[in-house]
Amino acid sequence: MDAHPEHGGRRGVFIAAAATAVLATFGIALVVLGLNPSDGPGPATAVDAAGSSSPSAVPFAGADKASKEPIRAKGPGFGSLLPGSPPVGLAIPSIDVRSTNIVGLGLQDDGSIEVPRDASAPGWFTPGPSPGQLGPSVIAGHVDSSTGPAVFYRLGELRPGDRVDVTRADGSVATFSIDRVRTYEKDDFPTRAVYGATTRAELRLITCSGDYDDDTGYDSNTVAFAHLV
Amino acid sequence: MRKPLTLASLAVASLAITPMLGVGTAFAADGDTMANLAPVALNGVEGSGTAMVQVNGTTIDVTMAASGLLPDNPHAAHIHFGADARHECPAAGDDADGDGTINTTDGDPAYGPIVVSLTKTGDTSPDSGLAVERFDTAPGGQLSYERGSIQVSEEVATAVANGEGVVVVHGVDHNDSGKYDGKKKSDLEPSLPTEATDPALCGVLSAAPAGGADTGNGGAASGTDAGLLALGGGALLLVAGAGAGIVTTRRARVSA
Repeated sequence: MDAHPEHGGRRGVFIAAAATAVLATFGIALVVLGLNPSDGPGPATAVDAAGSSSPSAVPFAGADKASKEPIRAKGPGFGSLLPGSPPVGLAIPSIDVRSTNIVGLGLQDDGSIEVPRDASAPGWFTPGPSPGQLGPSVIAGHVDSSTGPAVFYRLGELRPGDRVDVTRADGSVATFSIDRVRTYEKDDFPTRAVYGATTRAELRLITCSGDYDDDTGYDSNTVAFAHLV
Repeated sequence: MRKPLTLASLAVASLAITPMLGVGTAFAADGDTMANLAPVALNGVEGSGTAMVQVNGTTIDVTMAASGLLPDNPHAAHIHFGADARHECPAAGDDADGDGTINTTDGDPAYGPIVVSLTKTGDTSPDSGLAVERFDTAPGGQLSYERGSIQVSEEVATAVANGEGVVVVHGVDHNDSGKYDGKKKSDLEPSLPTEATDPALCGVLSAAPAGGADTGNGGAASGTDAGLLALGGGALLLVAGAGAGIVTTRRARVSA
């Protein structure tokens, strides 16, 4: 499932960083000696997700004009769908994620998805579908902050069939079932498979994984694919 | 079957021209876009939906679902684009004739003319913009649409990929009669009531994210051997001075 991409895309950064490489190698080698390899982000044991911050202002509350009655509808071929309504809560019992502080995300200048400022807050990609609408609804969360594990630290532990409950501004709960969890190197990220069109209501939970580098961050993303049940 | 032949000959023509224009002109655009369909201002539809358009060169695949529409009546649906348009959904201020609703003419400055007719079968050109027998009738108020390999011009493909296309679903029941009626006629087609062509739901096709996400800051990337970490971290601090520009830039973007 992991590819072996060419690392050509960050040449500029690498060239700029070249002057620091010798010292960096020394420093990183010492840091690595201090690591327990099994303690990296991803499937880890006995680490609490830091996702239960208290409710705060939801930036898009009130954007929910069109969904007074969250009645499930059967679209031909598309399965159950819900009307548009922003997510206001996320619960993933199998990995102890519970958050009522979901922030809105857009795009960065380079076209990649923004990430939440608050490492304990999952972020919903607002230009995309609401959870329960046709298409891939995207929720991204940090694997860690600069000081420790963050809301999606245990995302890689999810298994097919695990449940994800998304509470929406209209009061309804969209329940998703995990289909698969995949890790991709960022240089070989399958944009279309993750963000492209689907023919049912789906959910993407995204976090970071792999090796961390001070200059370039984590080199991989872990993506959990789920569908509305 | 005339259309494929025409397109094939166009393709041949562009192949012949390409060497003169240089590499790349044959590929208009590639990308995934999506639109959140929301009620058009002033028109009182309590509906919503999503549309996804995948652009591959000058071919697009469209997937769309919406709810809250007038059931069992045809809902013309289009991709609109105008070079001079605002590439937006119309606002209340676009009600030029002040009649309290947004009709097709009112919408034009916001999203421009029809460039693709989202018909279920047959022609998809603007000519089919009101081919009511070939649009979804929204049984139960639910519209669902899926059609691939729609051929568009290079200009349209590029516009959609650049986030300038707007999906509009038409058909509004202003007087709650359960059908398209009323004295006022469509400014698009005088044989139809304006209810049949007034825009109901609208959404701008914006680019889906590209590439991965910067969802980590490294705080859990290390283990717990504090001594060695401190030592290594000290060496890294030396690096930090030299590499500060890079690191700062990166951080700024992550926390944007």
